[in-house]
Amino acid sequence: MTHLDEEVLAQWALDDVEPEPDAADHVATCPQCQAALAELRDLSADLREAPALSTPPADVWTRITTELDLTPTTTDPGSSSPRSGSTGGGEAGVGRGRRYGRGMLTLAASVAAILGIGVGLGAAALFGGDGQSPTNPPVAVVQLEPLPGKTGSGTADLIQAGNELQVSVTGLTAQSGYYELWLINSDGQRMVSLGVLDPARPGTFVIPADLTSQGYRIVDVSLEPNDGNPVHSRDSIVRGTIPG
Amino acid sequence: MTSIAGDPSPAEIAIGFAEGREDSLAAAYRRWSRLVYTLAIRVLGDQHDAEDVTQQVFVSAWRSREKFDPASGALGSWLTGIARHRIADRLEARSRDRRNAAAVGEQLAPPPVADDQLVDRVMLADELDRIDEPRRTILRLAFYEDQTYPQIAERLNLPLGTVKSHARRGLLSLRDRLKEVNSDAS
Repeated sequence: MTHLDEEVLAQWALDDVEPEPDAADHVATCPQCQAALAELRDLSADLREAPALSTPPADVWTRITTELDLTPTTTDPGSSSPRSGSTGGGEAGVGRGRRYGRGMLTLAASVAAILGIGVGLGAAALFGGDGQSPTNPPVAVVQLEPLPGKTGSGTADLIQAGNELQVSVTGLTAQSGYYELWLINSDGQRMVSLGVLDPARPGTFVIPADLTSQGYRIVDVSLEPNDGNPVHSRDSIVRGTIPG
Repeated sequence: MTSIAGDPSPAEIAIGFAEGREDSLAAAYRRWSRLVYTLAIRVLGDQHDAEDVTQQVFVSAWRSREKFDPASGALGSWLTGIARHRIADRLEARSRDRRNAAAVGEQLAPPPVADDQLVDRVMLADELDRIDEPRRTILRLAFYEDQTYPQIAERLNLPLGTVKSHARRGLLSLRDRLKEVNSDAS
């Protein structure tokens, strides 16, 4: 018998349930598959113990640039120039290249159009804090409005000194696919995925680094098909803009 | 966080960093500050100390960038190494203070350390954070929230088979990413 497919080993490591007897027999006598399975099991065990990542407050970067006496314009931690055509970053790099390469121009056009005609820019109520616990008042409340031809609405509360977004939506009722939350830069060139949004309950999303002050101010909820393609589907449902 | 569209790859950041490009320092901070900060806060248990350590790591990495050779190792691992030293320094300073404060002969508990296991787990969390959706959320729900596949499928409105397939491939992709991080910068 040939070596086991690594997806079989991965499922085995995840479930801790033996696959069919043939596969188990093979692994019992194959050091290579045993090692691969052991590695995946260790990884799975480590994942259970992995801590959630914390983001340092924005002023840590400011302290670094001050201590090193750097030019602020070139060292903006939220700015990033579009990737050139070069590769060499391995899987992660290729993934980013694909993300940038596909759909970005169309998206840029659609963002520009939206900014231009002023549709979909949610009115932001500063210090609106209704419904929030007094210990965690939002810095801003962004209304999420449906894009032309879409239905749904919601709010995105900027909390934790602007480091987190608490998002809740209503009227998002797609039968297939899933909703994903994005922060889009107002330059229409760059975007960050903040994660999958469950339309049935409020979700809290960490805003990486100090992105909002770098222009990542458009809060966008897209409907993503189950096609395994990580780029934005360009099917945006609701949007709003974090006030400057 | 996941990839920012257009951000350079770790290898590209490493080359720019070694060349002394300030935008590469900013990119390195974007890419690895959460890893460094999380490691520090987990060991030191104090936000203020963790902020100081994060600042020290990037400042001293930048000042000693001549010692970093992008051909011989990954920048993330190099920064993690500096972080471990800075965390150890901070712990040593604390323990000095405690010794000075403690009565002679009093037994002190051994201080925590940034051991290999913790470093591995934080690096794993960092890589998990970069996996494309919906795998990231599926793995998070499975591992951080201990949800079953049927629960995840229901919550995300995805077919059960799709959820399991994403979990399998996500695990394999994490394994490959960690190999990349732990090998060289190519």
